[in-house]
Amino acid sequence: MERKIGVYLCECGPNISEKVDLDRVKKEISSIDDVAVVEKFKLLCSADGKKYLEEQIKNHNLTHLVIAACSPKEHEITFMEVCENADLNPYLFQLANIREQCAWITADKEEATKKAIRIVKAAVGRVKYHSSLEKKEIESIPDVLVIGGGIAGIEASLQLASSKRKVFLVEKTSELGGLIKNFEKTFGDMKSATELIDNKIQNINTNENIKVLTNCEVGEVIGFFGNFEIKIKTTTGENEPIEFNVGAIVVATGSQLFNPEKTPQFGYSKLDNVFTSLEFEKMNLTKNITLKNGKTPTSVAFIHCVGREEKGYCSGICCLYSLKYASYLKEKLPKVKIINLYSDLCIPGKKDEKFFNEVKSKNVDFIRSSDVEVEKNKNQLKINFKNKEGKKNSILVDMVVLAPAIEPTIDAVKIAEITGISQDKEGFFAEEHEKLNPISTSTEGIYIAGCAQGPKNISETIIQSEAAAGKILSSLIPGKKIKPEVKTSVISESLCIGCKTCLTVCSYGAITFDETKKISVVNEVICRGCGNCVAACPSGAASIKHFKFNQIYQELLEAVK
Amino acid sequence: MIENKAAAITIKSSMKNTIIELLEKAINKEIFDAVIIPMETPAKDSFVYVLVKDKNLLKDSNPLPPVMFVQGAKAVSSITRLGEGNLKIAAILRPCEIRAAIELAKVGQTNLDNITLISMDCPGVLPYPDFLSDPKKYKKLFEEAVEKWDNKLMRPVCQICNHSSMVSGDIHFATLGINKDKMYLIPNSSKGKNLIEKLELPLKENIESWQKKVKEISEKRHGKRKKTHKDLKTKIGGIDNFVDTFSNCINCHNCMRVCPVCFCRLCYFDSDKVKHNSEDYLDRAETKGSLRFLPDTSLFHIGRMSHMSLSCVSCGSCEDACPMAIPVAQVFSMIADETQELFNYVSGRDLKEPIPLVAYKEEELRDMEDAHD
Amino acid sequence: MVELNSNTDVLVIGAGIAGIEASLMLSKADRNVHLIEKTSYTGGSSIKYEEVFSNMECSTCMVAPIQQEIIQDKNINLLTLTEVESIKGSLGNFNVRIHKKARYVDMDNCIGCNACFDPCPVSINNEFEEGLSKRKAIYVPCAGALPNVPMIDTKNCLRFNGKECSACKEACMFEAIDYSQKDEKTDIKVGSIIVATGFDLMDTKKLQEYGYGKIDDVYTSMEFERLYASNGPTEGKIILKNGKTPKSVAIIHCVGRKEKGYCSSVCCMYSLKFIHYLKSKISNINISELYTDFCIPGKSHQKFYEKMKKNQVNMIRASDIEVKKQNNDINVNFNIETGEKKNILVDMVILTPAIEPRNTSIKLSKTLGISIDEYGFFKENSSDTSSVISSKPGIFIVGCAQGAKNIQDSVSQATAAVGKILSL
Repeated sequence: MERKIGVYLCECGPNISEKVDLDRVKKEISSIDDVAVVEKFKLLCSADGKKYLEEQIKNHNLTHLVIAACSPKEHEITFMEVCENADLNPYLFQLANIREQCAWITADKEEATKKAIRIVKAAVGRVKYHSSLEKKEIESIPDVLVIGGGIAGIEASLQLASSKRKVFLVEKTSELGGLIKNFEKTFGDMKSATELIDNKIQNINTNENIKVLTNCEVGEVIGFFGNFEIKIKTTTGENEPIEFNVGAIVVATGSQLFNPEKTPQFGYSKLDNVFTSLEFEKMNLTKNITLKNGKTPTSVAFIHCVGREEKGYCSGICCLYSLKYASYLKEKLPKVKIINLYSDLCIPGKKDEKFFNEVKSKNVDFIRSSDVEVEKNKNQLKINFKNKEGKKNSILVDMVVLAPAIEPTIDAVKIAEITGISQDKEGFFAEEHEKLNPISTSTEGIYIAGCAQGPKNISETIIQSEAAAGKILSSLIPGKKIKPEVKTSVISESLCIGCKTCLTVCSYGAITFDETKKISVVNEVICRGCGNCVAACPSGAASIKHFKFNQIYQELLEAVK
Repeated sequence: MIENKAAAITIKSSMKNTIIELLEKAINKEIFDAVIIPMETPAKDSFVYVLVKDKNLLKDSNPLPPVMFVQGAKAVSSITRLGEGNLKIAAILRPCEIRAAIELAKVGQTNLDNITLISMDCPGVLPYPDFLSDPKKYKKLFEEAVEKWDNKLMRPVCQICNHSSMVSGDIHFATLGINKDKMYLIPNSSKGKNLIEKLELPLKENIESWQKKVKEISEKRHGKRKKTHKDLKTKIGGIDNFVDTFSNCINCHNCMRVCPVCFCRLCYFDSDKVKHNSEDYLDRAETKGSLRFLPDTSLFHIGRMSHMSLSCVSCGSCEDACPMAIPVAQVFSMIADETQELFNYVSGRDLKEPIPLVAYKEEELRDMEDAHD
Repeated sequence: MVELNSNTDVLVIGAGIAGIEASLMLSKADRNVHLIEKTSYTGGSSIKYEEVFSNMECSTCMVAPIQQEIIQDKNINLLTLTEVESIKGSLGNFNVRIHKKARYVDMDNCIGCNACFDPCPVSINNEFEEGLSKRKAIYVPCAGALPNVPMIDTKNCLRFNGKECSACKEACMFEAIDYSQKDEKTDIKVGSIIVATGFDLMDTKKLQEYGYGKIDDVYTSMEFERLYASNGPTEGKIILKNGKTPKSVAIIHCVGRKEKGYCSSVCCMYSLKFIHYLKSKISNINISELYTDFCIPGKSHQKFYEKMKKNQVNMIRASDIEVKKQNNDINVNFNIETGEKKNILVDMVILTPAIEPRNTSIKLSKTLGISIDEYGFFKENSSDTSSVISSKPGIFIVGCAQGAKNIQDSVSQATAAVGKILSL
């Protein structure tokens, strides 16, 4: 079919017209083959300008459109809409930036004009090879799978469940509640943790839109955002696997404590009466705080930052829960002596300092220390340390409670494999963007919340769960179709030699391997058009729509001729 | 290597016959279903890889032929290109052919699960233009060269080869540094070890003398290789010298076709991507003054180098296939050394070692970057 | 659950990073959003930073695409120079009267060419640049501000103070300047409201011991950010008031912490960022960090700390800090852990003042009828576990308006508030 390219040069007021001799550009471009019309216009993005373009497209029966104006970031969408309104496929259009990339940065008018000619020629060269692309729409399933029945999973489930959206809440143990079930109170407000978690669990159990699957684990996840096929297997191994489809997944697998056996200097599991924080919590909740021999302790030391050096990060909550433990003790054993051995006090919340001052005022000691070691000393424990001046010191206590670092659960590796999401070096799940998107992962439709994403307290966990719910509620709307990326990768069946290089470099899991045909296949719904596969493919079988070899080559060629 | 012990086998008549007997025994015991091994053609002027199922035909084969016509990896790869077969096959290959086969397995072009790769100490191969000029003479010269382990007549890349003994594969036949009346069977993988056990050959021989000899040869070669590369670099260094080196190229693409690690269905340089509008050619001719046809010869070689140099096994097949006697293998082998070294990579050394292109490391090639912090 | 015929539109107060993210998410869910912003530009504090911790990403590059999106998004009604005047009603049915100040520049006609700046005869301290440079009466706060349309500061404009002047209008080729524009009061109906008004830094002049405002080259962190910014008053050159390059810097943490009674949680991290800033421009500069406790929770933060420490920084745990001028130097006195008194002589001091809520928060809390806590931040509902729920159903508080926090946590809260709204 004959090409009729329309080229329109925007004066952009004085911005372009004063710096670039548009008449000369017009003359040069008019002489190019297939260019049917070249015109100048004062301001193409104005209402008048857009109307003018629509008319031009229709009157000249243009097959392609090139506009020389400002940055695509400004008005690519604007002019694509103009094309659509004029019944021209919006991808048969190219915006040549002769403002930000030419007029605004080139002082000499002659140079600017020459450069503008190159830029427009490049755009014309490219647009000749553009193809029509169609926007797609696919059905989606609004239901959600939540992996992990701790506070993060529970909160996300409660936010998400509705008559139009079922939530499947999968928990590997026999009960919901996670770590909070071991706490008597939560720090800061010192409210009842038992009440908090029991209420939440009751809300879950009375919600008919949430299906709770305890004693279950995720076995397989196949598919993509809007349509994941899930297989759940029971940990007891009795029943058949459970299968269902969901549109999104929230990974809320929580955390576990660093094993202090790896830091033998604290005497954990070797010496009596050295406990982890979790063991102390359980003791406090279920019975009395006693030593191994049943006696009541007269002095307790809290050792902070256990495993911090080994793990390489601060877990953020230990200073605060140590304050909580001091509160427990002062309430139950008012005469007990409490000493905190810490390195840096981490109390960033707006109410934390107040809480700290309250606890401290109850005669709780804080000793800044380093090189802490615990050894047996008759019936007591002797803690050797260096104080803030670097001098050696020691104290004798009855009981030691360690604050070990928070790590991701051991299941995290399995979950990462099954879902295809990444973990960072510490094993926490990797968010899509540290600042702007801490909830999403690089796999669209899979979100992370709570300590699975990084160490945090209950309030922050709840926020992340609500945020994960928010992400899902805003993107997976019942009845609404999903519009995936148009400029996706395509792998030529005839050229693909099945080396699987593209599979290895795809960050989104968008490529699968067809074992029968022995070729790689792109899932257009998951593909984000990043181009990694195209760059890596040794045989040139992979290409990106709208960024084909010819398009780029011709653009470059014209630019450097 | 799996362990420091080998199985010793007495050589009754010749090394060649000993190996063949062993293969026959293996087929009898149903350890293998077939063998792929070089055989002399009836015309007696070349050697080809043959897939042999009838063990009686094995006696005509030659596990260490004087030439490498088809690169063995290509032969092996085509057997399981479409997937793992049920046949258990033993493949007798030169060390570089084994490495090439492993590189191909990394990119799904062959499946080595049911293939046992057997190598032996390699003296190199003769350039086939030389061989073809007088097959009878050169067959004899080759035998003599094997006796003395002298590689002056071999392919230029063979003469400086630093991977001519055991590198990868499953089993290695060792002959260097050992009495002429025996050879060792060294297991190089658990598959190889199982096989030797199935053959009821006890692994109790100490291989120190072989290791010592191999090391000695390797050190000598290393020095020679470095010097040869240094000289070559001065000869082809710089764009003008490079173009001159390849100026005789007639774009037949033979080098690419015989290369075992060039595996694309349609080479980039044969595709539409290198075909341009006539205006574009005219423009180029205008810019440069004139344009040689067929254009983009140097681009082809540099491009092929950038595509496959991480996998190059320095076998030298490309140079032998070049009708214009361009030292393709020497150039490519030298570049391959440097590119593989950047990543501490040796092509075909280990099936589990991913090709650097797809291996992500957070810190890499720092000295090549403009460091910001 | 809210009745079916309640309003699903949302009012977002504050177009900083939290407000922007919330608006975009709501729009994705096909909700109509009125995003009102008190100033003439979007992005809030986030566009004042050149880079953000801990990956040193370019902040303006990070925010620009989403600033652009809210301008072009059809579901988002972005109203700059706008504040809430009064509200009536409750969850699902709020009637909000908003007051939109006149910009005196037509947003459709103006193409952002900046031709109107030069001819303006007025020159005033630029607030965005923390007073480190000047602006005109018709201005955009910085290069790259979005929307890229200037406003007229009527308090300082000659014309609006009764004098004859139409220099800007004469310079405009697009007839974009319109002196006849008037403030507008509009009533909008929304179902829920998100308060994302951000923060200010505490006024350090009040703390005499730091010499701020008296001694040259004692800067607040925000001023230092602008010094380092490539679109800032010195185009990114770190120089002293006398034009020379500093050889030594002291960064003082916890400024105002005792007075405020809380830790502002981000200062330790951005102090580390400042090490990176300083070393990248002045490689042999001597840096001392005077801190009390290093507060760096988070999986990636300690790594950043270790990396920055490698730059040969003096990390000094200090208390009772006093900043005095001593001839041409600045003398910083302090006590170290042993109680011993020490001092260092530096060219420049950077203070990390406490983060406080905007000074308009008290007024806004009264207007909206929501509580503020003892620190002045909007108060979360104590009977709810979610920190974004204010004392009034239907009104959510996110970001630094609720408490000092970093960008990641602000964005999480914004997203959580949207989650709450969409699940109503």
